[in-house]
Amino acid sequence: MTAQPRLCALQHSDAHQSRCVVAVLSVILLASLLLSVSLGSQPTAFMDVLHGLIRPQHSDIQLILYELRLPRTLLAIFVGAALAVSGLILQKLVRNPLASPDVIGISSGASVAAVLVLTLGAGVISERWLPLAAMAGAALVALGIVTLAWSRGVTPTRLVLMGIGIAAALGAVTTLLLVLSTDTSAMHAYIWMTGSLYATQWPSVIGMVFWVALGLPLAFVMARQLDVLSLGDELAIGLGSQVTMSRLKLLGLSVILTGAAIAYAGGLSFIGLIAPHIARRLVANRTTALLPVTALIGALLLLYADLIGRLAFLPRDLPAGIFVAGIGAPFLIYLLYRWQRH
Amino acid sequence: MRFLYVMLALLSGLLTNAAVGDEPARRVVHPFGETLIEGQPARVVSLYQGATDTALALGVTPIGVVESWVERPMYHYLRDALPETVRYLGLETQPDLEGVAGLRPDLIIGADYRHELVYPLLSRMAPTVIVNTGLDFKALLTLVGAATDREDAAHQLLIQWNTRVADFKRQISAKLGDAWPQRVAIVSVRADHVRLYYHGFAASILAELGFSLPDKQGRDSWGIKLSSREGIPALESDVMFMFLQGAEASVAYTLAQWAQHPLWQNLTAVRNDQVFEVDPVTWNMGGGIIAANHLLDELYAHYRLAPFYPEEGVRVNHP
Repeated sequence: MTAQPRLCALQHSDAHQSRCVVAVLSVILLASLLLSVSLGSQPTAFMDVLHGLIRPQHSDIQLILYELRLPRTLLAIFVGAALAVSGLILQKLVRNPLASPDVIGISSGASVAAVLVLTLGAGVISERWLPLAAMAGAALVALGIVTLAWSRGVTPTRLVLMGIGIAAALGAVTTLLLVLSTDTSAMHAYIWMTGSLYATQWPSVIGMVFWVALGLPLAFVMARQLDVLSLGDELAIGLGSQVTMSRLKLLGLSVILTGAAIAYAGGLSFIGLIAPHIARRLVANRTTALLPVTALIGALLLLYADLIGRLAFLPRDLPAGIFVAGIGAPFLIYLLYRWQRH
Repeated sequence: MRFLYVMLALLSGLLTNAAVGDEPARRVVHPFGETLIEGQPARVVSLYQGATDTALALGVTPIGVVESWVERPMYHYLRDALPETVRYLGLETQPDLEGVAGLRPDLIIGADYRHELVYPLLSRMAPTVIVNTGLDFKALLTLVGAATDREDAAHQLLIQWNTRVADFKRQISAKLGDAWPQRVAIVSVRADHVRLYYHGFAASILAELGFSLPDKQGRDSWGIKLSSREGIPALESDVMFMFLQGAEASVAYTLAQWAQHPLWQNLTAVRNDQVFEVDPVTWNMGGGIIAANHLLDELYAHYRLAPFYPEEGVRVNHP
C-alpha cells in the first residue's frame, strides 16, 4: 500500500492520479477478495478454491466457498463501501471532518430499533425483521433530527448538534434496553451492535447490492452539489444552489446507505469516519475523485477487519466491528504522520 | 459395454432401495420446522451445551461440539466422555460454520434462541434439529433421542430418572418430616448483582422433587435480577442453594458485601445456617440429563440420603 501513492504520483494531472489510485485499489480489492475466499477455519488449498469457484458443481468445497465465504466477503465489500461513502457525504455536507453516520445519530436510530427487536421482541418478533427495523429506525431518527433542527432551512451546525444530542439520548435508551433484558438477548444485541458479518447469506448480499447500486450512482450525480455546498452557504447560494434542498437530498442519500449497511451488518462504526480521511491522503480533495477511492477504502477496511475476526482467534468467530478501528486507526495515524513530514 | 449397463442398473436398484428402504426416514418436529433423518446418524455435531450432555448420555459421541462457557474447552464432567479428536467449533453464539461443514455431519443439533439465522445454512450441511430451550431437559432428551434414533435409550433414561425422583421424594419426606416441603431459593451470585431463579434447569428439577419455590407473583420470566441489596428479602427461604458465576475475586467481594447486610442476616436460611454453595456447571450450565442426575447426586449427598441408582446403566457416562 505504501508504494502506491508514490506510484500514482508519477502521473501529471489530478484526474490521471485519481484514476491510477482507483485502478490500484481495485486490483488490491480483487486480490483481497480472492484471499478472503481462500482462507477460513477449514483449510482449503488455493488450487481447490480456484477450481471450486470456476466449476462449483465438481467441487466438494462448494458449500464453504459459495454459501459461507463468498457471500460474507461480498457483503463486507458492499457494506464497507456504503458506510464510507455515507461518511464522506456527511463530512462534506456539514463541513466538519469529524462527522460520520455514527456521530450524528443515524446509526443510533438503527441500533435502537434493532436492539428493541432483539431484546423486547426476543421470541416474539423473528430476527428476519431486523434489517427492516434497522432501516426504519435510521430513517425515523434522521427525519426527527431534520425536523428538530429546522429553522427556515437546516444549517450544518444545528444538524450536527441536534444529531449528537439525539445520538446520546438514543444511546441511553439502548443501554436501558440491554440492562432490562436477559443475558442471552443482551449478548445477542451486543454482538449485533459491534457489527458482525457472521453467517451472511445471499438474500442479505442481494438486498445490500440493491441499495448500493441505488446509492453510489446517486452520490456521483450529486457530487458537484456537495463541492458547491462545502464552499459555504453564501458562496453556494451565489452559485445558484438551493442549499436546503440539496442538503436534504444528500442527507437522505446518506441515511439510505447507512441504514442499509447497518441493517445487514449491524452497528458498525468508524468506517464512515476514517475511510474519507484515508482517501483524502491519496487523491485530490474533489468529491468526484474522493468518492470511488473512499468506497474502495471502506470496502478494504471491512473486508480485512472481517478476515481477522474470523481467522485470528480460531475456532472462534469474532465480530468484524472489533477490528475495524484496530486496523483503520493505526493506518490513518501513519498516513497523517507521513503527510505532516512531507 | 453391456457389463456397464448391468452395473448401472444394479446400482440404481440399490440406490432406490436405500431411498425407499425398509426403514423410512424419521420425521422430527422442532421449533423451526420438520426434519427428515434417515438411519442412525453417526456423525453428530452439537451446537448446544445441553445437547452435548444429552447425546453423550444416549451413547452418541459427537464429532464436533461448541465450547463450554467455563472450564473451557469443555466442562470437566463431559470432557472424559469426549474423544481427543472431537472438533471444538467456537462459541454457542457464533459457531464455526466452516468447521461444521468440514466435518460433513449427518446430524446437527442447534438451539432456538441461538441459531435462528444460521438454521438455513446448517440445514444445507446436514439434517438439522433445533432444541426448544423453553422446554425442560426431558423434552431435550426426547428430541435428541428421536433425532439420533435412540428413542428406547431416551425412554429408559427417563424411567430411571422418574424412579430416582420418586425415591428422593420418599426418602426426604421421611427424613425431614414436618419440615418438608422446604422453601428453596436458587441463587446465582455474580460480580455486580444477584439472581433468584423461578424457572430454568435447576428450578424445574427442584420443583419436580417437591421443593416449594418462591412466590412467582404471576411472573413467567426466568427469575429476577437483584441489583441492590434492598432486594434481599426476595431470597427468603428455608434453604438456599447458591452458585457463584464470573470472575472469582469480584464475585467473592459481592458475596461478602451482601452477606454482611442486616437484611441478609435476617433471612431464615441464613439464620439456620442453611446456605449452601453448589456447582454452577451442574446447576446452571450443563442443561442435560447427565447434569440433572449430578444435581440429584448432590442433593442426595447434601441431605445424607441413601444413594439410589435404579440400574447401573444410568451411570455409564458419569465420570
